[in-house]
Amino acid sequence: MTTYRELTWRKEGPCAVVRVQGDASGAGWTARVANELEDLSAEINWDEDTRVVVLAYPGNAFQSGVADGGPWGEPDPGSVVAPVAQIRQPVIAAVEGDAMGLGLELALACDIRLATEGAHFGLPQVAEGLIPSAGGTQRLPRLIGQSRALDMILTGKTVDSAEALRIGLVNRVVPATRLMEVATGLAQEMGARSPLSMSYVKEALYGGLDMTIDQGMRLELDLYLLLFSTQDRIEGITAFNEKRKPEFQGR
Amino acid sequence: MDGFETIIYERVGNIAYVTLNRPRVLNVYSVQMRDDLYEVLNGVKVDEEIRAVILKGAGEKAFCAGADLSEFLTAPSVVKARQIRLLRDLWGLLRSMPQPLIAALHGYVFGSGMEIALFCDIRIAADDVIFGLPEMGLGIIPGAGGTQTLPRVIGLSRSLDMLLTNRRMGAHEALDCGLVSRLVSGDRLLETAEEVARQIASYSAAAVRNAKQAVLQGVDMTLQQGMELERRFSVNTRVSGDQAATDNG
Repeated sequence: MTTYRELTWRKEGPCAVVRVQGDASGAGWTARVANELEDLSAEINWDEDTRVVVLAYPGNAFQSGVADGGPWGEPDPGSVVAPVAQIRQPVIAAVEGDAMGLGLELALACDIRLATEGAHFGLPQVAEGLIPSAGGTQRLPRLIGQSRALDMILTGKTVDSAEALRIGLVNRVVPATRLMEVATGLAQEMGARSPLSMSYVKEALYGGLDMTIDQGMRLELDLYLLLFSTQDRIEGITAFNEKRKPEFQGR
Repeated sequence: MDGFETIIYERVGNIAYVTLNRPRVLNVYSVQMRDDLYEVLNGVKVDEEIRAVILKGAGEKAFCAGADLSEFLTAPSVVKARQIRLLRDLWGLLRSMPQPLIAALHGYVFGSGMEIALFCDIRIAADDVIFGLPEMGLGIIPGAGGTQTLPRVIGLSRSLDMLLTNRRMGAHEALDCGLVSRLVSGDRLLETAEEVARQIASYSAAAVRNAKQAVLQGVDMTLQQGMELERRFSVNTRVSGDQAATDNG
């Protein structure tokens, strides 16, 4: 197992619980986080026992992200986010407190977003003469629609947790003290379901975004039929018909 | 068209009603229901007198609680399953219906029931409605277009949540996020669907069909292509309108 300096991670049953440490004071912090997320993403992607990932981090740790190397310096903010977007298992973001700029863009690359009460979210880069550069201009409209995305990106407006929930920017809002409990509880629940179904659904949804609906339906059908070859499909349906809990093996 | 085992087909004036009719098993979608729907919708599709179609579920408890899982695992082979799916493509047929489809939804709307609703153009729900996609717990994924239609209707963020976490959605949230466009009390569900159907039926058939196609086809195009498509449909609608005026005069 690789050793990490800016992240910690542990296995809890079928879940990997990852935390990005918030001490961003050291020089080159963002670049180290990016490198370590790259290593971790590769490690998790090859680990058949990991079915769900929780990615916890203080949302404001990344505020210095752009300034870290200057607007044109290293690292590219996208390098923090890309490894997370490549994870084949569902990734739950547990965002501690406010997340502006890169901190929010990282959450946008996750599949489910948990926020704490009273937190604020925004992409303020335009007000600094920059643009979101870690996928914000692409992922935000796909997640919450063009109208609300343009408002947030062009005006730099922030939304609080309650509004973020209402517009679908985050999926759950919880008290700060219960964030990890809720995140790991959800991850454990998901971990009991079919890992193949979850990763194929991710492929169908993200892949289908860039396709016509007819192409997307063919992709869905291919993945649907590929699951006919798995033990887990037999187990899932048999368990349902026998009114018992399924035991998925991931094959 | 009548005598179907799993559905009821009715026609009142220029409005067609298709009722999923297996109330004792929450109207779950079966092979027989696929064949019944395929036959009925193929007939409706080419019937130019029908101006709107209402889809609803029989009984108190559900529009449709998903697929009949007792039939799963019985396909002779995956090759055969694929062949049947492509030759008897009910989902492609639903998507290609020229008339507006209106879903009147109540109770459980799960799995393929929810996917059928997502192929409809207007979704009206009773306040007891509950949506859910249970596939992750069954070792399958949606197979009736749900992974493609849902994000286009409610956005990617909520779609991932519903699918990956098995999160169910009630009436008010469904209205807030646009999964349904109207919410009424249960006793007014059918009446509301009929009002909508009658309103649509009162308009020029060409205008309604062309507007539907412009929106549905345009979603998959660049804006520029969509604008050109809209222009062609617009000209076509005007010509049809003039033709109708001449015919009537």
